[in-house]
Amino acid sequence: MKMDFNLTARVEGDVLVLKTEGYINNDGGEKIVEEFDKHYINGIEKVLIDIEESKVVNSIGISYLIEIIEKLNERSGTLYFCNMDAAIEKTFTIMGLFQFAKKVESVENIK
Amino acid sequence: MDKRIKLEIKLPLVKDIELVALEGLELMGRHLQISDEKIGEARVLVTEGVINAIEHSENKSPFVDVHFIMNIDALTIIITDYGKGFDPSAIETPEIGKKLNSNYKRGWGLKLMKEMSDDFKIDSSEEGTKIIITKNLR
Repeated sequence: MKMDFNLTARVEGDVLVLKTEGYINNDGGEKIVEEFDKHYINGIEKVLIDIEESKVVNSIGISYLIEIIEKLNERSGTLYFCNMDAAIEKTFTIMGLFQFAKKVESVENIK
Repeated sequence: MDKRIKLEIKLPLVKDIELVALEGLELMGRHLQISDEKIGEARVLVTEGVINAIEHSENKSPFVDVHFIMNIDALTIIITDYGKGFDPSAIETPEIGKKLNSNYKRGWGLKLMKEMSDDFKIDSSEEGTKIIITKNLR
C-alpha cells in the first residue's frame, strides 16, 4: 500500500481536479488546501478530489477538506469526491461531509 | 480449533507511527482472509485510536501499546496510552454544521471509533487511557 503522499492537479473545463496518492494525514491535508488555494484566488467554484490512490485518511487530514468546503460555500461552489474506498466513504458519511459535498463517478458527471 | 491470532506492539511517539500498526493489521487480515471492506473499516479504527493515544500521551510516556486479537469472526483492538487521561463525557460530539466556520475543525476521532465499531469502551484515569474496540468481521 502506497503511503507517501503525492498530489497532482489539473483543470478540466471549470473543474479543478485534485488526484491524491498515499496517506492523507495532517501534511497531506495541508498540501491539498495549499493547491486548492492557488485556484481559489482565481475564482474556481467546482473541485473534484479523486481519492482512488489513497487508502488511508485520518480525521485530521479530513479536517482540511472541511476547510475547502467552507471556502467553496462562500461562493456557492461545490466539493466533489470520486473513486472512494468503501471505508473512506463510510468515514465521510459518519462525519457528515456529504451534507455539503457530493459523490460523482468522474469529472464528466459534474455540470 | 479457534484460529485466533494476536499482535502486541509498543509504538514510539513518532509521526505517522500508526502506519506500523496498520501493516500488522493488514497482514493478520490477509492471513485470515478477512474481506477488504472489513479491514478497511478496521484501518480507520486503528488510525484514529493510535492518533488519539499519541495526542493524549503528551510525552508523559514514550510509547503507546497496541494489541490486536483477531479471528475470522471479530477483531479486538486495545490501545493504551499512559498520559494524564481525560473525561470522555466532557467531549462534545462533533457536527459538521458547527465545524464549518469554526476555527477548530478537528475532534472527530471518538465519534468515528464509536460509529465504525461494533463495541467501544473507554477507560480513562490519571494514569492513562485504554480503549477497547470490537469490530465484527463477518
